Formats: sequence, structure tokens, C-alpha cells
Amino acid sequence: MNNLLTRLPTEPEVEEELRLHIDLLVSENIQRGMSPEEARAATLKRFGNIDRVKNECVEICRRNRPLQRAFKIFLMLLALAGLIIKITSTDFHVARIGGVFILVAVAARLLLYVRSLTPSRFLPRNETSSFTIFR
Amino acid sequence: MAKDRTDLMQGTLELLILKTLERESLHGYGIVQRIHETVEDLLKVEDGSLYPALYRMQERGWIKSEWGLSENNRRAKFYKLTRTGQKQLERERANWERVSKAISRILQTA
Repeated sequence: MNNLLTRLPTEPEVEEELRLHIDLLVSENIQRGMSPEEARAATLKRFGNIDRVKNECVEICRRNRPLQRAFKIFLMLLALAGLIIKITSTDFHVARIGGVFILVAVAARLLLYVRSLTPSRFLPRNETSSFTIFR
Repeated sequence: MAKDRTDLMQGTLELLILKTLERESLHGYGIVQRIHETVEDLLKVEDGSLYPALYRMQERGWIKSEWGLSENNRRAKFYKLTRTGQKQLERERANWERVSKAISRILQTA
């Protein structure tokens, strides 16, 4: 359930996160007395293969996307089913079940929407990857 | 006497991350720093290996993340333990204690 409701990070977000770590490591090495070049080399050695790490993280996020898409379709169908039940049913209790379907579907969809908005406001615009300086 | 650095055993990185996040939310660099401070160079954690582990743990619902500002005012993703993560930490801790006890017994008798 967590995978369905969690906002999945995008590739620029993964890059942003790794970039901060690398920059902090470089600063730490410079503070220890290394030259910028030495600091970058030491950072690369300590961090490991940046591209491999980035691709692995992106892949983990990517494999949950089809699941989330399927969940959104399920919510749409649930709302539709609820609507049909509500319109066609003459029994009050059955119509109420239709109402619950609609409510659950709308609430879950809203939650997904809100979660997709929250972290993106921190994302930089038009930033390019700084990984190129290490390649 | 020089201390031998030991590479981290498979699966223990997650336990270390869970334990580190038990007290406070931290970004990736902060997590590695805290682990290194605690183990005093006895274990080697490759910084890059942390992130796939964090993403997998988030996928399992053990931790959650939130963007915020780091101590030097840069955007940073902070990780926090969830209730599921807290339970997982207890399970992992119990498992670790059982395994280390078993290995110690074997080493003592052999």
C-alpha cells in the first residue's frame, strides 16, 4: 500500500540528492587540507561509481510506476462503479455502498495528488547535473 | 595497533540505517557521517551503497523522506523512520543478536 501512495522521486531529484552528498564530501576533504583536485579524487574513491548508484536508484523508483498507474486506474473504476450503483440502485443501502466507493476513490486520488505536489517545490529549475565534473 | 577496517556484511547496512534514523531525521551524508562517527573507522560503508539501500527501504515503507534545508542551507532529502521501520528495526536487532550469539558460541567451542 505504501508504494501506491508514496510519491516516487524523479531522476533530477535523485541527481540533486547525490550531488549534495558529493559536494559535502568534497568540502570535507578540502577542510582536511586536500587540494580541490585531490578532494574530488578522494570523493570519487569513497563514493563509488556515481552513475551506477544513480541508475540503481532511478530503477528502484521506476519499477513502482506501473503499479501506481494501475492503482490510479483502479480508483477511477471504483468511482465509476460507485456512481453506477448510486444512480441505478433503488435500495437505499446499496446506493450508500456506491457512495462509499466514490468517497474512497476520491479521497485516495486526492491523497495521491497532494503527495505529488509537496516535495517538488524544492526542486531547482533548469539545473544540469554536476556529475560531469567527476567524469 | 592499527585497526583493521571490515567491509560491511550483506544486509547489515539496513540495520545500521534503521538504528541511525531511530533518533532523528537525517540526509544521506548525515547518515554516513553518523555511522562512521559511531563505529570509529571499524567498518567501511561505501557512501554510494547507501542510496540504493535507502530507496529500497523507502519502497518497503520502513522509512519516508521529505525535502528540507541542510545545515548549510542547501536542499536536502531527509529520511525518517516510519512505524513499520521501527518494528523492522526491532526484528533486525533481534535477528542480529541471535546470529552473533550463534557465531560466538561456535567460535568459542571450535
